[in-house]
Amino acid sequence: MNRLACCSLSLACLLLAASLHAEETLLRDVIDREIKAGWTKENLTPPTKSSDTVFLRRIYLDLVGVIPSYDEATAFLKDTDPKKREKLIDKLLADPRYARQQAQVFDLAMLTRSHKLVEGQVGYRNRGRFREWLAKQFEANEPYDRIAGKILQAEEDGSQLFFAVYNGADEMVTAVSRFFLGTQIQCAKCHDHPYEPWTQKDYHGMSGFFVRTMAVEVAGKSEVTNQKGKQYRVGEKTVGEALFSLEKIDPKTKKKETIPIPPKFLLGDVLKEPETPKDFVEPKLKPGEVPPKPVFSRRAKFVSWMTAKENPFFAKAAANRFWAQFMGRGFVHPVDDFNSQNPTSNEPLLRAIEKELVAHKFDYKWLVREIVNSEAYQATDLGNVTDAMPKFYERARIRPLIVEELVASLHVATGLPLESALKTEPTKDMLQYLGEPADGQGRFQGSMTEHLFLHNGDQFRGLCRPNKGNLSEQLLASTEPWETKVEKMFLSVLSRPPSSEEKERFVKYLSVPVKEAKPTSTPIEEAMWVLVSCSEFRLNR
Amino acid sequence: MGKHMNTNIQSGTCNSGHHLSRRSLMKGLLTTASGMAVANWGALTHSQSIAAEAKRTGKRCIMLYMAGGVSQIDSFDMKPGRPTAGLFRPIQTKVAGIQVCEYLPNMAKHADKLAIIRSMRTKTPDHGPGGYYMHTGYHPSERFPHPEVGSMIAKYCENPESDLPSFVKIGSQSGLYGAGYLGPQFDPFTVSDDGKLPAFANPAVTSEIQDRRGDLLNFMEQRFREQRPGEPFAAHRTSELRTIRLMKARKTFDVSAEWEKAKQRYGNSDFGRACFTAFKLVQAGVPFIEAAHGAYDSHNDNFPVHKACFQELDPAWGSLLQDLQDSGLLDTTLVVWTSEFGRTPAINFQAGRDHFGRAWTVVLAGGGIKGGQHYGSTDRDGFEVKENPVSEADYLATIYKAMGVNYKAKHFLGSRPIRATEKGSTPIDEVLG
Repeated sequence: MNRLACCSLSLACLLLAASLHAEETLLRDVIDREIKAGWTKENLTPPTKSSDTVFLRRIYLDLVGVIPSYDEATAFLKDTDPKKREKLIDKLLADPRYARQQAQVFDLAMLTRSHKLVEGQVGYRNRGRFREWLAKQFEANEPYDRIAGKILQAEEDGSQLFFAVYNGADEMVTAVSRFFLGTQIQCAKCHDHPYEPWTQKDYHGMSGFFVRTMAVEVAGKSEVTNQKGKQYRVGEKTVGEALFSLEKIDPKTKKKETIPIPPKFLLGDVLKEPETPKDFVEPKLKPGEVPPKPVFSRRAKFVSWMTAKENPFFAKAAANRFWAQFMGRGFVHPVDDFNSQNPTSNEPLLRAIEKELVAHKFDYKWLVREIVNSEAYQATDLGNVTDAMPKFYERARIRPLIVEELVASLHVATGLPLESALKTEPTKDMLQYLGEPADGQGRFQGSMTEHLFLHNGDQFRGLCRPNKGNLSEQLLASTEPWETKVEKMFLSVLSRPPSSEEKERFVKYLSVPVKEAKPTSTPIEEAMWVLVSCSEFRLNR
Repeated sequence: MGKHMNTNIQSGTCNSGHHLSRRSLMKGLLTTASGMAVANWGALTHSQSIAAEAKRTGKRCIMLYMAGGVSQIDSFDMKPGRPTAGLFRPIQTKVAGIQVCEYLPNMAKHADKLAIIRSMRTKTPDHGPGGYYMHTGYHPSERFPHPEVGSMIAKYCENPESDLPSFVKIGSQSGLYGAGYLGPQFDPFTVSDDGKLPAFANPAVTSEIQDRRGDLLNFMEQRFREQRPGEPFAAHRTSELRTIRLMKARKTFDVSAEWEKAKQRYGNSDFGRACFTAFKLVQAGVPFIEAAHGAYDSHNDNFPVHKACFQELDPAWGSLLQDLQDSGLLDTTLVVWTSEFGRTPAINFQAGRDHFGRAWTVVLAGGGIKGGQHYGSTDRDGFEVKENPVSEADYLATIYKAMGVNYKAKHFLGSRPIRATEKGSTPIDEVLG
């Protein structure tokens, strides 16, 4: 970084620090000031405010993971209170769906969709217990540092999936450093990093904290595991060292010599630990058993280091990650890759959020409320920018609905009760064909397989077809004029009324009598299919 | 549009209403026959001069990808009499000086078609990064959206009039790396290991209804896109158009009638059927097909693993070359045999061989390749390349040149120009005809 930039940066921080002392300054205002400064600096046209309909759909999907129902949408759009957005945000943050949605998002960010388990895949069922546990944390608004600590302690029932997925010290080091520390140190396994300060000693030093950790599957009763997925236990042995291969070849084994590396905090000190008694013998374990709790737990030491206020990585990584969750792109992007070659797009703002997050004791809900109340979050979806995640937030980000959101939203859109919307799990097909719509860079790719499924798969068609009191059936039975019915369809599926042109076109489409004696579908089903198949429905903007 | 109803959903016909005009796409005019605009990925990602340069080469490529890392010493770079030789014996091929493994007798018969590159020296001994590197020519740590080879070839060699996907991946064991900066229209279309389409590729409604609701969908998308040029929306619309076209051409994937007879030659395996499907797709004009085979990752029991794999590979690969030759397509169809890396010359204590990138083998045939030759060599025991090392990027540059694709083509992502293969890479002219 050049000196000038450094100067202006520290100046900005000073100003920021000074301004934060003023009592009324809310973080949302700091966000808007800094984001606007970014637009000015980059010479970008500031976006206008999103329309009520766009904001409505966006905030529902982001906070509670499902589109608003017809009733919820009309209630909000009719409300004339100038503070109605703030009111809705508070309402949704207190909604039971909020915890469920945050649990889904964190589970996927942490474990990804397709990671291998101890055996086999992380089946959808196996996530159930973990998601329930996560949801409890979000429901209680447990501070994020505590949630993170509990995941790594892996003692509470349901919290253990992390180590069942990332099994083995290498995977643990990579996953923990990427998710919780926002850094990628895996390269340092084989060589000192060419640009970053970490060395092989850092990598293997971190490995030392996890090398004794193991996860086992609990032999559960099948009636339990079938319904709620497998159960795991995580334990820690008393002995075991991270080994580092030297270049030197051992003359006896003809292999590279290895030496044990003591646990070392990333960019910090070597762990001081008591000697293990020389005569200690690790107890033999039966299948499904974990070792008794060690007298000295290295992993516990790691957790206290990681979640300490002064940890140089943790709060920054969290601030960046939470921001990106709602704004599309982290100040550092991708969010798990802080490094000297990857500059921060708005350093003062990242620092401000980090500082305030620590000051608010890692209150996740507080931060979410500040972010989504900002004008930056509530920016328009319109404009000439093509990027899904504009670098300076000059237009709202566009993201695909995760398959869980899609399933729930499809149910709500087609007029089924919220209860069934939240209860229905994505089918195996939906997980396969709609489950990973983005490339490795987070860009939506929309495969042909996805569209084949939209066209011909049973799920979409089944919900659009008049059936079991769903919207199509209600509309067919109703004697209201087609204009009213079309309005209801649009508000139910797209959370907005139709334009006059759209209304005219749909009314025409729907009021044409069906000629076929045995039609394979009906206009009402087709019109519903069109609304749930269009890009407006598929994506959150 | 949609006024004329097209009830014929056989291969080769297409409904103009949904027909994305590929010609206009090439010109950067992005409308469909019905006036629906789609993503301007072309102009977004490459310069006008490259667009003008892009033309149909009429060439096709089939990539046979040996998933897990295939052993060079047990196939095409045998070391008889050396400590690293292993259990397999070499057999003489129809070309003097070329020997192959005893479990590849069909390939011995086709040796005159093969350019055997024995001097691959690659940088990543891990499956994920290795597969990425061999597919894109770039190291994954760049974290840059490089397209995989199939996407690049799809872009430059696609038939603008075809309703079929321009890049078909049979089975996904070879990894999905995507079209990257070329945009989702060049993403692989993945079918199952034996080449079959998913069951829901069959239209659930009649073509009248499909057209009728397609019109309504187009109407919605047109209005929506007016002030929303975002890439994800465009990706969604493009995939929709391509899917409609694919559904009309889907019969091409159905080889079941001919398979009954063909399986006697190709071998009654998923990979056999995949190779036969690849042949039929090439006949139908698909420019790039990748078929993955096996689980070659033989850290334990290398020899039984490779023997079993080769017994499926050999008849399938051999029959593919034979059918291409018999149908006159061999000269324009490049067949690549490749992997993410080779396997160690040293045999480990579990009678396995481990990952090895320092000196291994890939094989090219057809598509104008000069067959019946070795290129490059390794030392006595196969630990190091002795002459003419070939990098991942050199290998891809060779494929691109054989396909008539400019391997130096610059694409732009933002203002940063990216070459198809990295600077300093050179095609192996000795194997190109």
